[in-house]
Amino acid sequence: MHELLLTLGFGLVTASILALSAVAFTLEYAVTNVANLSHGEILTVGAYAAYVAHRVTGSALVAAIAAAVAGGAMALAVHTAVIDRFVRRGTPAITTFIATLGLSFVLQNVLVIFFGASNVAYTIPQGAPVQVGPFSWTGTEWKIILSALAVTAVLYVIISRTKFGKALRAVSQNRDLAAVSGINAHQVAAATWFLAGLVAGYAGFVLAESVGSFNPYFGFQFFLITLTASVAGGLGKPFSTLAGAIIVGLALEFTGGYISASYELAFAFLILAVVILVRPRGLFTNARRTVFE
Amino acid sequence: MIQYLTSILTEGAIFGIMALGLNVIWGWSGDFDLAYYGYVALGAYMTLVFTIGHPLPPAQYIVGLQLPYLVAIVLAVLASMLAGLVVGLIALRHLRGIYFSIVTLGAVYVVYVLASQYVPLFDGYNGLSGLIDPMGDVLGLDFKQYQYFFLGFSLLVFVLVYLFLSRVSGSRFTLALRTLREDERASAAFGRDIYRLKLKAYVLGAGLAGLGGALFAGYLSAFNPSAWQPIEVIILYSAILVGGRGNIRGVVLGVFVMIVLIQESTRFLPEIPGHPNIIPALRAIIIGAVLVLFLRFRPQGLLPERRYRDREPVPNAKPAPVTTA
Repeated sequence: MHELLLTLGFGLVTASILALSAVAFTLEYAVTNVANLSHGEILTVGAYAAYVAHRVTGSALVAAIAAAVAGGAMALAVHTAVIDRFVRRGTPAITTFIATLGLSFVLQNVLVIFFGASNVAYTIPQGAPVQVGPFSWTGTEWKIILSALAVTAVLYVIISRTKFGKALRAVSQNRDLAAVSGINAHQVAAATWFLAGLVAGYAGFVLAESVGSFNPYFGFQFFLITLTASVAGGLGKPFSTLAGAIIVGLALEFTGGYISASYELAFAFLILAVVILVRPRGLFTNARRTVFE
Repeated sequence: MIQYLTSILTEGAIFGIMALGLNVIWGWSGDFDLAYYGYVALGAYMTLVFTIGHPLPPAQYIVGLQLPYLVAIVLAVLASMLAGLVVGLIALRHLRGIYFSIVTLGAVYVVYVLASQYVPLFDGYNGLSGLIDPMGDVLGLDFKQYQYFFLGFSLLVFVLVYLFLSRVSGSRFTLALRTLREDERASAAFGRDIYRLKLKAYVLGAGLAGLGGALFAGYLSAFNPSAWQPIEVIILYSAILVGGRGNIRGVVLGVFVMIVLIQESTRFLPEIPGHPNIIPALRAIIIGAVLVLFLRFRPQGLLPERRYRDREPVPNAKPAPVTTA
């Protein structure tokens, strides 16, 4: 029983980080219909920004802000410089998808040039243990969980209660219809990517903090799990994605704890394969048709 | 210098075979397959386990036979085709577009994780080694002659693959594949069995990947997880795209431009002491950037595929007279 709770505790930390990354990924998809394979690099950039800011100022709060801002700037740049140009030309989604893979390759190697390919140790004091109900977390882990909840709550309010959120939902449902209704779809998409970048950059920071080290390829590895969570929940649907992230995060921690952590990635994709074959639109969406496009 | 040219040309021929195989899947059938490097790796691993003999402890791997290299190549190709069949059966059934890509990405990472973590399979991170100069002993070649021999052998296989595919390229099979790529529903409406056609193309592509991998194993004489990253398949994609997706002549040109020219021209850049990663990173940046730019500005590539047009409409064709009862 004790071990079960321990694993569940770790699982919630993983799920929180995964939720941040996956919700950001799904927002990017929602407004542009592009599964961004360079999403992982936004996390990596966030991690490097946090690392540099932390070394300069010594403050974790500044590091968190730096990570978010760097992630946001990077996502906005990717959208403006590449994605939007493809979307404006009416390029098929799969072509843009391939372009984002090229982009991911470029960004990883730009980071290699600036920071080298080796691991950077990023250890910060874990803080006093916190006892919450039956769980025991370190201070850092507790902050990760709380901040993930806070970010999700803010996103919920933005998406469902603000005018921008309404525009976002409109663009996500039907870009052309939104555009003829007077919404500037490009602006909304750019703003959404920026918002997603803020969240993803922050996710990169907390991921680096919880893993303790990173390198230019670190975001891409985590992206593979992010992809699983988003597709399992329902691509393009922020709140279904959130549910997917929690399930995948817990599942990974349980298989990691009970089978072996090195097979985590293979296991994540097994979950994904099963979900995609049984319910290609995701576990928590209503559409019943298979994907045939 | 001669030695250097020999090694470039050998690599070029091997990558050419791989690119031609991927062109069957992506260029003709239109499926963005991210698992492709998995079949290359499987071909390389299988060639090694069939040729290097029984594992000496502490090394562990499956099979462990000492078959002639040529037999091992055939077996490796069959193994890759079998793997392609399994993945294709699952992934091509209903999934298209990014969902197909995501599932194949998953499949290749499962293979990658198993190959690198599950030691009894291919000895984990240590990988396999010991296939030294296959066929060299039988033919009585020394080290120097052997290089030229292997270059000749690779070029021969490459030319055979090219000739085979240029025949396939004009066949009804490939025409049918192209119709699927352009409009699957319309093609299905004309009675094409989409699933079977796509599956055939996928297995053919995987087999060529296995062939490329088998030659690669003979060239490197060893293979381990650090020799391949699933995502490096992007190099093959950029070669196909630059040359001309769907056109095998274009693909060969693309391999020459991307793999021979870009790889080799960056090799002569001065190394910056203490930063050994910069040159390979620059090369990767060029490859990624070229991919993005071509997708945006010249998606048909340097040598575009020949487009088939409708036959000339029948002159003076009149609409069928409306008969009134």
